[in-house]
Amino acid sequence: MKRRSPLAALTISAMSLPAFAATQPVESTVSVGLSNYREADVPQHLVAGGDHRRYDIDIRQFRLLTPIGRKWSLGLDLSQETMSGASPWATVAGPDGEPELIMSGATIDDSRTEASVSAAHYGDDYSVALGLTHSKEDDYEAIAPSLSGEWTFNDDLTTVSMGLSWSSDTIEPTDAARFGRVTREEKRSRSASIGVSQIIDRSSAVYAGFSVTDHAGYLSDPYKLRDVRPDERFEWALGVRYRRFLDFPNAAVHVDYRYYDDDWGIESHTLHTSWYQNVTASFQVVPNVRYYSQSAADFYRPVDDFTLAPDVEQSSDFRLSAYGAFTFGVKGVLQQPEWTVTISADRYLADEKYGLSSGVPHPAQLAFTLASVVFEVKF
Amino acid sequence: MKRRWQCVAVIAALAWTLSGCETVRPWERGTLARPEMQLDPNVLLTDLYEQVYYSKEASRTGTRPAGAGCGCN
Amino acid sequence: MGCPCEFRFHAETEDAFLRAVEACLRETERFEKKYSRYLPDSVTTTINRSAGRTPVPIDRETASLLEYAAVCHEQSDGLFDITSGVFRHVWHRRRKTLPSRREREACIARVGWNKVQRSEGSVYLPLIGMELDFGGVVKEYAADAAALLARNAGIRHGLINLGGDICIVGSQPDGRPWPIGIVHPLHNASAIATVTLVEGALTTSGGYERFVEIEGHRYSHLIDPRTGWPVEGLSSVSVVADQAIVAGSIASIALLQRPADGLDWLERCGAPYLAIDPKLRCYGHLLDHVVDQEKNAKSSVLLKGNRCAPGERSMPK
Repeated sequence: MKRRSPLAALTISAMSLPAFAATQPVESTVSVGLSNYREADVPQHLVAGGDHRRYDIDIRQFRLLTPIGRKWSLGLDLSQETMSGASPWATVAGPDGEPELIMSGATIDDSRTEASVSAAHYGDDYSVALGLTHSKEDDYEAIAPSLSGEWTFNDDLTTVSMGLSWSSDTIEPTDAARFGRVTREEKRSRSASIGVSQIIDRSSAVYAGFSVTDHAGYLSDPYKLRDVRPDERFEWALGVRYRRFLDFPNAAVHVDYRYYDDDWGIESHTLHTSWYQNVTASFQVVPNVRYYSQSAADFYRPVDDFTLAPDVEQSSDFRLSAYGAFTFGVKGVLQQPEWTVTISADRYLADEKYGLSSGVPHPAQLAFTLASVVFEVKF
Repeated sequence: MKRRWQCVAVIAALAWTLSGCETVRPWERGTLARPEMQLDPNVLLTDLYEQVYYSKEASRTGTRPAGAGCGCN
Repeated sequence: MGCPCEFRFHAETEDAFLRAVEACLRETERFEKKYSRYLPDSVTTTINRSAGRTPVPIDRETASLLEYAAVCHEQSDGLFDITSGVFRHVWHRRRKTLPSRREREACIARVGWNKVQRSEGSVYLPLIGMELDFGGVVKEYAADAAALLARNAGIRHGLINLGGDICIVGSQPDGRPWPIGIVHPLHNASAIATVTLVEGALTTSGGYERFVEIEGHRYSHLIDPRTGWPVEGLSSVSVVADQAIVAGSIASIALLQRPADGLDWLERCGAPYLAIDPKLRCYGHLLDHVVDQEKNAKSSVLLKGNRCAPGERSMPK
């Protein structure tokens, strides 16, 4: 057996000294985020009935990450959303044949609360984490355990990470009897992922990851008048994320690409680039652009066909149509030794013309703005 | 067939990138340790974007647990 | 620490700067109080006073420093030995004649890491007159600990110098690496080489720092614990590593051998180094940084061995 080099032997021994035995967080971090998500109204002339105002959501997030002893950390995430607005009920053909929306009549008020706890254990060159997430809405409940691990080797240049997660969701639509909706349905999901991150040189690193997910159970939208989807779905995705620091403009460049494919016929590409420009030693401006394009699901129909048998797969959900979308965003980050404030604003615009595959116009095509402020304190 | 080709291309690109890696000693990693060089510099915002895109687009573009509440419609 | 302490931090506000400096000073003082041989209630003094009498309970930090010293001892085949301090009693400055064989043998009998009895949570020196000296690891470890504290206090551009043990916390504020001058073994006001660093630690030590002059011959203060004789080794060794404690022990072990063996050890370690032999020939991976002697004293930090000077602090611009 090859003997360890003295440098390696000494370094390994030094790493068990109290000051170094800390790849885990050495300080506690509390973050608080306040965000507003607002969808543009549906143009009045495309609404055949109902309210044309779409969702307006306020989001409050809280996150605590704290070390427990030298080998453990505990994370707690809470988020709460309150939403109001109307949502598309059905898509029908208008007088000129163009699809028009029937929106839910009254404003829907709902709130969603999500809590998740995680515990991570840190070894010399690995870490493992266990997590549990619970999400609750008036009509929806999900519980999702997860398990993940990371292993670093090759002189700490390479990290392999793996993750498994499960989710068990229950939906109990409101006003089920009044509108003839399903009363209680369930779905189960499983997901597995593997990734490698690699340091390329002293100013760049790359991550590549692969994940598979399958869903089984009730996958339709119970609030739409006619929405029948398969009761199984298999997805896989491949992502590459690149980070590079440029000394001259004193900026970091992020390029993330993700390819996604599933057995509903949806294939998507996501390209997200950000430019982290250091303006002063403590202030950053981060413009970023995200491009997204997807193909339509095999059973997507621009207009609901109520003449088909009720068990024939069809959906007019704009999410399942072929379209493309741009997000233009900017963040400002003010960083002090003990606290950080991040303000961000994003504008999202979806259109069938932006997509890589040809799509038909959908009246509910989405446009939204998202504004956030996040405070982070270390202590 | 086209999809398989895309997958192969990505893996080949990745292998090529990794083979070009040089050894970066621990004391040369100051730049890589900067907050803006992390995969997700602000986890709270990453969670928020993933939740929004997950519930408004057909494909999962992030690492959220499968399902796990959707805030749909 | 009985040596110059230098903290150079760049912080956004004076408050942040002072907080970081204070945290680092508090930490270095803590190490000094805990491990100084000269303080009556330090851990070191307590262990040494109990030699031959009773085991002394120790905390986790001390236990892991002892474990680190054990690894150094093993890696250096017994050269690095924190019980070697006993030799000071025969090789001291007031000495006029060489120690006799009996004197040396009496010392060797009280030296030896293998004699030290360690158990869970305690340490015992079995012979009266045995001594532990943490000097060879604690100063470097204190620099590492201070660097970690500075980082946690938000410092992204800083340099910590505890008497020649240097830790770097990021580049200079303008992005340039820190130039560090390595002192000339003979003219200790000037630099023989400049090393530039943006991260990590650099320690320099040399046989030139302290010596005993007996019968017209200069004997180094570095003693081979196996023979009891001073080592005629390299004049100066600087090592760059991730942690100052690692760089420091690699350098110390190199100095405890004849020049050729010391260089061989440095090569085997694989960490970047600069070694200078008694004839002032330079060796090592850091060699390309050796500066012209004429324009040497320009570098911003000069390592001055262990000479005492008041602490220096620099303020942010």
